[in-house]
Amino acid sequence: MIFLRRQVPLLITLITGLVFAAQYYVPHPASEQMLTSVTKWLQIIGGFALVLGVSSLFHVHAMKIRRKEAGWGYSFVLYVSMLGTIAVGLWSNGKEAIDGTMTAFGWIYNFMMVPLQGTMFAILAFFIASAAYRSFRARSREAAVLLIAAVIVMMGRVPLGEYLIPLSGDLSQWILNVLNASVRRAILIGVSLGTVALSIKIIFGMERSYLGGGKE
Amino acid sequence: MSFAERMLKIDRRIIFLVIGLCTLFPLLYPVGLPIKISPEVRGVYDYIESLPEGSVFLLSLDFDPASKPELYPQSISLLRHAFRKNLRVIAMTLWVSGTGMADQVITQVAREMGKESGKDYVFLGWSPGGSAVIINMGQDLYGAFPADYNGKPTKGLPVLQGITNLRDVNYAVSLGAGNPGVEAWYVFGKDKYKFELGGGCTGVMAPGLYPLLRSGQINGLIGGLRGAAEYETLIGQKGRAIAGMDAQSATHLAIIVLVIMCNLFYFSLRKQAKQQGHSGA
Repeated sequence: MIFLRRQVPLLITLITGLVFAAQYYVPHPASEQMLTSVTKWLQIIGGFALVLGVSSLFHVHAMKIRRKEAGWGYSFVLYVSMLGTIAVGLWSNGKEAIDGTMTAFGWIYNFMMVPLQGTMFAILAFFIASAAYRSFRARSREAAVLLIAAVIVMMGRVPLGEYLIPLSGDLSQWILNVLNASVRRAILIGVSLGTVALSIKIIFGMERSYLGGGKE
Repeated sequence: MSFAERMLKIDRRIIFLVIGLCTLFPLLYPVGLPIKISPEVRGVYDYIESLPEGSVFLLSLDFDPASKPELYPQSISLLRHAFRKNLRVIAMTLWVSGTGMADQVITQVAREMGKESGKDYVFLGWSPGGSAVIINMGQDLYGAFPADYNGKPTKGLPVLQGITNLRDVNYAVSLGAGNPGVEAWYVFGKDKYKFELGGGCTGVMAPGLYPLLRSGQINGLIGGLRGAAEYETLIGQKGRAIAGMDAQSATHLAIIVLVIMCNLFYFSLRKQAKQQGHSGA
């Protein structure tokens, strides 16, 4: 059993990891065909992952409702909404509109999901303004530099700022293109090197946490 | 409690009200300040402008309704520009929750510009797999999307004539609100299948994509509502983005004033505390 649980997945990871790392550099039709097949598998696995995610969500919230845990009412709302949306979606054949006419599923999408998600995102502006007022203080030199840069970029990114201080537009462009881009690039290089190191550890079986726990 | 202390502990509902009013008034009474075009937005515009009629333009609408205020105007402008140039448009999404919205925008703009589905454009819809869909399209477009959003088989559609995979795409733009988005299109698409790529994103995400822009990995970037307003200005069709710029100007200015005020009160309190410390000693 240990062989099936540990050695076989490690072997599959080693072989596929090495083969597909090499595949990128081999433009032979056979190599490309192999990539085509594997990406199809990935799409199929993606479909199953969606089913798995939805069923897991159902399970977690069913447990909450059954045990009457704190906030179980929200889980109930989620259950009703999800089942209702799935039923209406299946009835409407998954289409928001058919021949220009809005379906019931389209109605849920346009008049419930769109405004709800939009509202969640829009209230961020209010919280950001409140948080900025309370915490954006020049407590140290570094904080002062951040504060000045933020004010310049905020001015330079809107027409009113550019109208009041014409230089703010160019200054903000410079901050974004030079200072910001170089720092971001350094972070990206760091993250990429970390990803490469982690991939090598996974391929060669040094990192095994993806296999999950369970009995040996 | 001193005035500065009271001001620093101001009820946050007052700040909410200020921001609310700063958003509302400019929308009711627009000023229409001139919008300066940035080189990154011009990069996308110029590239589309340089494409000959019938070129293949792929627009991936990788966002959900949460990012609609910023990315929807960008999609409208890009589609209007592409249709005006008589490009063959392939639209799709990598975000399942954005499928309905993507369908709406392409149908709306196509109808406005007198374009026909299957002949002038195709909406492929969504397919599971995230970034894997990009690789799959790079290998075989018809394998990734055997049918379009309306269930018509993609093989044989006049708009896709001569196209087998992403290598046949002349220009792709990903309007992304996260992952998968612009970065995924570069890593899994452009880098391997060698098509030109542009990007569009929310204002918060834009600074994170500047390294891709500076290194030429993307040839242009439309950032947030400001980017959308610049694009609307470039194509000469005023829309929601230009209308929203005055509100954005006012809220930015309000936040700057709030931050300056908060620092003034903070320093006055610090000065008071220092003076009290000296007098106490």
